[in-house]
Amino acid sequence: MGFVNESIDDVRRTARGWRWGRRSQVPRSAEAFVPDQRQAVRDSDWSRTKAAVAVREVAQKAGLEPVFRSQVRTQVQGLDVLERIEGPVIFAANHASHLDTPLILLSLPDEWRRRTAVAAAADYFFDTWWRAVGSSLLFNTFPIDRHGGAMATTPGEVLDQGWSLVIFPEGTRSTDGWMSRFKMGAAFLSHTYDVPVVPVAHRGTFAAMPRGAGWPLKDAGRRRQLTVRFGEPIRPREGESVRDYAPRIRDAVAALLDEDTSDWYAAQRRRAAGATPDPSGPDVAAWRRVWAQTESPHAENGTRRIAAWRR
Amino acid sequence: MTRPGFVLEVDDRTPPLVVHEGLGFRLEEFPLGTRVVYPPESLPAVDDVEGTIRNALLDPVDSDPLPELLFAGMKLTIAFDDLSLPLPTMKAPDVRQRVIEQVLTMAAEAGVDDVEIIAANALHRRMTPAELRHIVGERVFRSFHPQGKLYNFDAEDRANLTHLGTTDEGEDVEISKRAAESDLLVYVNLNLVAMDGGHKSVGIGLASYKSLRHHHNAHTMVHSRSFMDHKKSAMHQSAWRMGRIIKEHVKVFQIETTVNNDVFPKPYEFLQKREWEWSVRDQASMLAARRGLALAPQKLRHKIFHDMRAPYGLTGVSAGEVEGVHEQTLERVHRQHCVEVDGYSDVLVMGVPYLGPYNVNSSMNPILATCMGLGYYFNSYRNHPVVRRGGAVILYHPLDEGFNQLHHPSYVDFYEEVLAETTDPAVIGEKYERQFAEDPWYVHLYRTSHAYHGVHPFYMWYWAAHAMDHVGDVVWVGGDRRVASRLGFRAASTLADALEMVSGSVGTSPSITYLHNPPHLLADVRV
Repeated sequence: MGFVNESIDDVRRTARGWRWGRRSQVPRSAEAFVPDQRQAVRDSDWSRTKAAVAVREVAQKAGLEPVFRSQVRTQVQGLDVLERIEGPVIFAANHASHLDTPLILLSLPDEWRRRTAVAAAADYFFDTWWRAVGSSLLFNTFPIDRHGGAMATTPGEVLDQGWSLVIFPEGTRSTDGWMSRFKMGAAFLSHTYDVPVVPVAHRGTFAAMPRGAGWPLKDAGRRRQLTVRFGEPIRPREGESVRDYAPRIRDAVAALLDEDTSDWYAAQRRRAAGATPDPSGPDVAAWRRVWAQTESPHAENGTRRIAAWRR
Repeated sequence: MTRPGFVLEVDDRTPPLVVHEGLGFRLEEFPLGTRVVYPPESLPAVDDVEGTIRNALLDPVDSDPLPELLFAGMKLTIAFDDLSLPLPTMKAPDVRQRVIEQVLTMAAEAGVDDVEIIAANALHRRMTPAELRHIVGERVFRSFHPQGKLYNFDAEDRANLTHLGTTDEGEDVEISKRAAESDLLVYVNLNLVAMDGGHKSVGIGLASYKSLRHHHNAHTMVHSRSFMDHKKSAMHQSAWRMGRIIKEHVKVFQIETTVNNDVFPKPYEFLQKREWEWSVRDQASMLAARRGLALAPQKLRHKIFHDMRAPYGLTGVSAGEVEGVHEQTLERVHRQHCVEVDGYSDVLVMGVPYLGPYNVNSSMNPILATCMGLGYYFNSYRNHPVVRRGGAVILYHPLDEGFNQLHHPSYVDFYEEVLAETTDPAVIGEKYERQFAEDPWYVHLYRTSHAYHGVHPFYMWYWAAHAMDHVGDVVWVGGDRRVASRLGFRAASTLADALEMVSGSVGTSPSITYLHNPPHLLADVRV
């Protein structure tokens, strides 16, 4: 019995120490000595083959979507913009949670969803083969290097193959739910490949599943509300540089966030007057910033729509 | 790119850490804030080993190229470090074999007939033919051993020792007669840690008790701070004085080799990775190893560990004049082992592994475990000990391997008779050393069997003298209580108990440093 009990203890200690089922952590004092992850799994071409698309369709429709909807409520606005354009496009969204990707993908019409890939941090989602395969198969992710290194497949090639992209220009999930600076990647791709950017703003994912949470949280036993809003596509203007273009994408997302909390016309007025609320949030104590974002948004008018139309 | 060594501070994200304890290891959850010193990762090994050796021999430091020192009709002696280096034993081919083969190729080209190859084992046990063959390789062994030209040094063969003189401090220099009378003595070293090499090679490896007693004693060892730092080591200073006497009489061509930190072979590589970077495979290997070892009887565990052959990679070779060569060697050793540590702590924790220099293919008896923990590991520092004066040392080892009667006969008497009387290194040396050193039965076993010299257990105890002088408490976690008590120490079941036991001298919330060793490291303590 001693051997069995010791074995159980050993397995438990290992499971706890190495966080089985969760992402492993690096001690803070060792963070400066973390090895370069650029040798990790990088190839994701297979995930855009017909077979992978078929498997993904089943996984998303039969697995991801029912689970997702059983955990959160969603409200999607602005999808009509997709009827006026043809792909590929770049969906540029704010980033606050791991829920953002399934929220955006599952909000898209099926024909768009099937042709949309997600840019994911190579050092985070492609560090092990099983994480790379899992995320590629389920979310159609492909790796990008947050530190500017070269990848086997570039986002440009994915766009060239006719795939739309979901990009989170902040580069990482927000730590307090508010939006941070946008990196240039989305603007650069749109500029270089002449592809429109569809701004996407969503709220509630930070409240539902912030960093560190492994599963969506409930609010007094009820599913939390998420809202997502797609905006008018934007393109670089004649002669506009990437540096000038990038802030416009951020402004568009900020205006959508404003619209989501108020109404379209009021948001447009504020935008015209340059008075769109700063999406990076107020300069107040950290706890107050987090506190404000822990509240889930309310669905439009606070009423439940007719069930047949609800998504 | 090799990552440097660093000091981890245990926090809530730190997984349990590996602590070696004899024929096994445990996963220890250290108190938050504990500092853990990790050695640098393995330096890249040189690709062209043969070319690197050849270059060193043809372009030596402060010396003519080796081929120019060789001539027909000369008397050539090649001496080499014995099986105490490296640890664990290196996977074949041993780097000494590769060096000796090149030296012999050059000697053959020069027409040298009179060549003898001597294992510089000083008062260590004679190696078996198989052990000799593993170090020098089959070609060299077959060419020299049957003719009696490849042999272990015999420090008790009075007829074959030469007294070269005394140093300014009155230290006798007595070494192998064959080496002393050779036209050229080529010494092939394997410099595993900073203590090895330099004038310690010939001056100690080929010396007799008459010579060794001047620096292998409690007084010298207490004043070697540390013996891993030759400029601050009284033992090395003595060896250096002797080396200069040797230099006046013997032409020495020193060849020093350094290896990287690739200590553990497959499937035990996880033992030299940083724990939070363990892959799923590493975790599975660790669990399999731990559960397998728990099931295995002691003999099998001994076999598993002692059959390990380290896949060391060569990091460099220097050849030529002893002191110039050794400077280059130390630079490489320091690059591989040095870790900067900011200040000392109240408690020093060390895991004593299954192997030390004196139990290769043998057992780690309690005296050797003490020597390993309080000797080699405690002294793995520069500038200042990792623990404060009067602090505590916590060691991990079960102290249950007993004594190997073939290899360590005098250790048994030392343990039963001497330690029962006193554990003070100075008193022990004064009262008992000569008696053991000159005991005819021990001398007989040393010369004809495979026994360490009668005086050897004393040296092990002196090795720990500096630590015993410096620290207050010493507690062995997981150690046999009776054995620990005989050694003059105490035993505890767990780290928490050990910390409780030492709280009288270091308080209830002491600062703790754990040396994550092996692989080898050298803590450069900045005070």
